[in-house]
Amino acid sequence: MLNRRLLAVVGAAAIVVMACSSSASPSPSAAPSAAASVAAADCTVGVSWNNYQEERWAKWDEPAIKAALEAGGAKYISNDAKSSAETQASNVENLISQGANVVIVLAQDGTAIKPAVASAISNGVPVIAYDRLIEDPTALYITFDNKLVGKMQAEALLKVKDAGNFVVIKGNKADANADFLRAGMVEAGLPEAGASSDKLKNVGESYTDNWDPKNAQTSMEQFLTANNNKIDIAFVQNDGMAGGVIAALTAQGLQGKVPVSGQDGDAAALNRVALGTQTVDVWKDARLLGKAAGEAALALCADKNIKNAKSSLAPTVQFMSPGGNDMTSIFLTPQPITKDNLSVVLDAGWITKDVLCKDVTAGSVPGC
Amino acid sequence: MSEATTAPPTATGEPPGRSWRTALRALELDTRLLGMVGALAVIWIFFNIVSGGNFLTPRNLWNLSVQSSSIAIMATGMVLIIVSRNIDLSVGSMLGLLGYTMAMVQVNWLPGVLGVSYHEPYIWIVAILVGLVMGALMGGVTGFIVSYGGVPSFIVTLGGLLVWRGVIFRYAQGQTLAPLNDTFQLFGGGPKGALGDVASWVIGLLACLGIVYTLWAGRRRKRRYGFPVRAMWAEVAVGVVGCVVVLIVVFVANSYAWPEALASQYAVEHGITEPPGGLIIPTGIAIPVVVMLGVGLVMTYIATRRRFGRYVYAIGGNPDAAELGGINVRRTIMLTFVLMGILAAISAAVQTARLNAAVTNLGVQNELDVISAAVIGGTSFAGGIGTIPGAILGAVVMQSLRSGMLLLNVDSPTQDIVVGCVLVAAVGFDSYVRRRSS
Repeated sequence: MLNRRLLAVVGAAAIVVMACSSSASPSPSAAPSAAASVAAADCTVGVSWNNYQEERWAKWDEPAIKAALEAGGAKYISNDAKSSAETQASNVENLISQGANVVIVLAQDGTAIKPAVASAISNGVPVIAYDRLIEDPTALYITFDNKLVGKMQAEALLKVKDAGNFVVIKGNKADANADFLRAGMVEAGLPEAGASSDKLKNVGESYTDNWDPKNAQTSMEQFLTANNNKIDIAFVQNDGMAGGVIAALTAQGLQGKVPVSGQDGDAAALNRVALGTQTVDVWKDARLLGKAAGEAALALCADKNIKNAKSSLAPTVQFMSPGGNDMTSIFLTPQPITKDNLSVVLDAGWITKDVLCKDVTAGSVPGC
Repeated sequence: MSEATTAPPTATGEPPGRSWRTALRALELDTRLLGMVGALAVIWIFFNIVSGGNFLTPRNLWNLSVQSSSIAIMATGMVLIIVSRNIDLSVGSMLGLLGYTMAMVQVNWLPGVLGVSYHEPYIWIVAILVGLVMGALMGGVTGFIVSYGGVPSFIVTLGGLLVWRGVIFRYAQGQTLAPLNDTFQLFGGGPKGALGDVASWVIGLLACLGIVYTLWAGRRRKRRYGFPVRAMWAEVAVGVVGCVVVLIVVFVANSYAWPEALASQYAVEHGITEPPGGLIIPTGIAIPVVVMLGVGLVMTYIATRRRFGRYVYAIGGNPDAAELGGINVRRTIMLTFVLMGILAAISAAVQTARLNAAVTNLGVQNELDVISAAVIGGTSFAGGIGTIPGAILGAVVMQSLRSGMLLLNVDSPTQDIVVGCVLVAAVGFDSYVRRRSS
């Protein structure tokens, strides 16, 4: 009996060991290197990914960061937190133990990571909050301007139709981005949540659990039903949900007649833009973000103080975070893609022509 | 009718309707199911009043039927799993993986390997077959570990929830697959994915014949074994009410006309001059709803008429007695999971077709909706109790709440709160009634 139990424990341990070794996180070996000032040549930059399994990070962000670092002669190390805020905290320490002079963090949770970030900074290792906010005023925040994304979405739709009934399909309520995007829409002239203006009447506004396209589709179906199809504009916050909304419109024969927005540059969404069923897809080129972060890391290697390093960084702005922190930030400008400028994504190598132009009548839009 | 003379003593002699209670008893209806229909009616009427008559329109009811179908399909399988004292938490992830695979088959693999366009008419058949086989295999693996490995189903399917979702992320890498094969899209409903008026009426009439035949055959069988039968008037009443309900459903589905924009597009394509007031094309019952009703029928037959189904209930009622009674418990349990996998594949086809896309978070949290539907529909976690029609009704109740609140512009957090309260209240009320009646 005892032997069998022992065997089971050993077996389980073996599985765990195997699983861990495949995750390729190197064990901390090097002692913490707290060398005072480092020349760019022996600069090591550590990146803590929150979930490397998602396509985007491996495909676009990491190569861009690596390329920028290689150009500056710096070394790249990384690990993956597998969507766990706890793991990420120890991962950041692990990177510093491995000798990172600058740490780039794609935060799983912008608040939970704060202690690890604070300890890194107090150890003389500057931290870059990559793509997602970390509520620490001493970190450098690099992201695409989410408010601007919302503004661009609304502007593109209002350019097509500037009066009538509208609905807003927002993202996950717990995600601050949903509200940033909504605020950006207000800047473009859309009334505040729940309100209407003389020309624009709000006939439906809803958050969407998990940004789930299926929930967005159901919301849109119900809005169409409640308004007897009298919906003129659909402000949708990302491409996945835009897919659901357009499926609901298609069921009513309204696809292409109601302007719909999105963001992310999903292949399927860009194809819809080419087909004319989606009006705009605000594209955030992850490679630009990676490049900006890589270059900022090089600058911070040379001068650890963010305030001093400002001059050698890309243009920074001061951003007041929702948590009341005055963040030194680099905001990149996204690019709205409509049927008129599809060549932008093609030329950038973001998407291939056969994917973009699937089922599109040749010559019907520039680029296809 | 020689049986009539040899009839055993029945309630036939009683005058109909001494009081409504005896009359109801004479009808031998499932009172819990009736209670649910009553609750659903209350919900529908409430939403109709509050939304200013927007809820009980052919259009909204038609939408509701389509929106409920994918959860209802899976709920029928979940009933058998819960009845046999197990649970399946992996259905949402399983659905996601199966849906994604079916989309891969039609968008990438077949066109990639055979060099054919995804428009080819046979592609949807291959995609669905791949989905069904894979669903059965995935369910089989889960079921095998549960029944032969002796690991509690809660744990195995919790693992499944993580593993299947992880597999999707691994090989989907965040990419959305769209658009899908044209025929495949019909499984998602939409005016084009519906039967139209003629076929709907035919199905309605067939259903009526089915009801009449079932009542007649049931009566004859009971006679043969000398069981008491319902009074003739009760039998007729059940048949008439059943048929009327079926025909009303068909009528409502047919009164939902194609949306104007689609109808005029159709008129242009087929060279029809539009009559004044627009072309009216009745939509009829949606294909996903037909699939759901078909699944419901087959599952009811399996659960109540096949040996396998009766074994499931026997195991749920008392596993030890079932084992001692010679039932192959392990094999039966494993088969319930295989069945669940197949149903998840069918649901996955409906959901991906409806979205006309496969996304990586397809089916997230569906396991909770499916389990809620089964439980609201009267399935008991103590095992041995639960019906297929109840689970389908449960799914409709849940979706009615969600759709109704969306019509009223209630935000998603509030929706969750209401649905959560209703779930607990419904089960609490049910067990209260059951305790009092026993």
